[in-house]
Amino acid sequence: MRILNIMKLLNSVAALILLSALCSCGQTIKDKSTYPDHVGDITFNKNVDDPNFKVCNQDRPPQYYEFGKGLQYEGEKPAIISHFKEKLKNRNLSGQTGYLTIRFIVNCEGKTGFFRIEGIDKNLEKMDFNKELVSEILEVTKQLNKWGVPSRGNTKFDFYQYLTFKLEDGRLIEIMP
Amino acid sequence: MIKFSSLVFTIITLNSFAQPNCNVYKMKNDEPCYQACLKASEAAELPQGSRKSQLLFDEAISQCPTFDYAYAEKATPYLKRGDFLTWKKLIDQAVQLNPLGQLGYRGWCRFQFLRDYKGAIADLEKLASLTKFDIGYCQNGDYHLNVAKALCYKALGEKKKAIEIIEKQLVQKDYSPMTYDYLHLGVLKMETGDTQQAIDYLKKSIAYNDYLAEPYYYLGLIYKNQNFKKEFKENMEKAKVYYLKGYKRADPYTHPMDKIFLSDIERELKNS
Repeated sequence: MRILNIMKLLNSVAALILLSALCSCGQTIKDKSTYPDHVGDITFNKNVDDPNFKVCNQDRPPQYYEFGKGLQYEGEKPAIISHFKEKLKNRNLSGQTGYLTIRFIVNCEGKTGFFRIEGIDKNLEKMDFNKELVSEILEVTKQLNKWGVPSRGNTKFDFYQYLTFKLEDGRLIEIMP
Repeated sequence: MIKFSSLVFTIITLNSFAQPNCNVYKMKNDEPCYQACLKASEAAELPQGSRKSQLLFDEAISQCPTFDYAYAEKATPYLKRGDFLTWKKLIDQAVQLNPLGQLGYRGWCRFQFLRDYKGAIADLEKLASLTKFDIGYCQNGDYHLNVAKALCYKALGEKKKAIEIIEKQLVQKDYSPMTYDYLHLGVLKMETGDTQQAIDYLKKSIAYNDYLAEPYYYLGLIYKNQNFKKEFKENMEKAKVYYLKGYKRADPYTHPMDKIFLSDIERELKNS
């Protein structure tokens, strides 16, 4: 009887150890899925992304700043500002104040896709902006078609870019970066 | 296929901070924080924002929850890649743990990346209230933080106050003017109608660092307003030559204040 109890106890301990190992294994897997390969990586989402948009290189697209030249667009930043000032409606939407960021990929042909949107208020806390306003800014962003494509030798690179729109009551104040 | 990772570009992964001296923890017999510090140092050597790097920072934080460096470093790739929400949550924790060490960085980033002028001023003034010593310089080394604060006031329309702050900084004992101090002061003087001082400061900027198109451009604008056509053209054309040679304000992440663009120069030349 005593031997049987010891056996049961050992089984319980073994089960606990196994459970613990499974938990820690699960934890490790969870940790790995907590982060993408690199912060900010965007992967294809069939529900929102254009299936015709292709990233040219299999390697991870670098960030725009990794080329050391800042934002690369024909006509530089003033061309981007003019584009938005010309195309965006001049609105007065009380309370629509903060920062709307659109992240996307520019591929090796200078085409854009995989757009992701995030809004924060003036205190840099999460904020959901007016849907119509967001939709309009996104559409105008998609119309930007003079992105500089970094290259080396015969290889042209895709890259990650973002644009942040500083808004006050729905009016565009500044564009970053 | 040529892999990007095999290529050398000008900027790859600049970590935000100098790596900490882990021996400080060892001397305090704080083994968990010593180990955490070693882990964070290892993380900082990896490609910034990579999963492995972020997980190592997490481990460091778990081992030493008061280690503000790990929070700040973990935050940085989010900032650079436009995820300001995640950045703010992490950098706030770093500031909470070490306000004296992190407020200047957060304030500067609010200015540089978000043009959050009020937020930046609040951080920099809070920092000044916590110490009787110098509040230091911004992360990329371009400015003393007092000058960065002045630029925030300028952006909010308080130009006289901005001038006062920069002029006060310039006469501080042991302060050596930074590369762009005179440029910004010259532009501020121009914008507030103090033409002669604007010219003096812009020329001082050139004497200090003659690798910038900007002071020539702003001098050109002043001469245009004074109807000095020859001087206007000379300076504006020089600005264009400099710009095309790459002598201009540049930053891989954002556009610095008072930076000019080729289209600005060409518009002026075309309209002259």
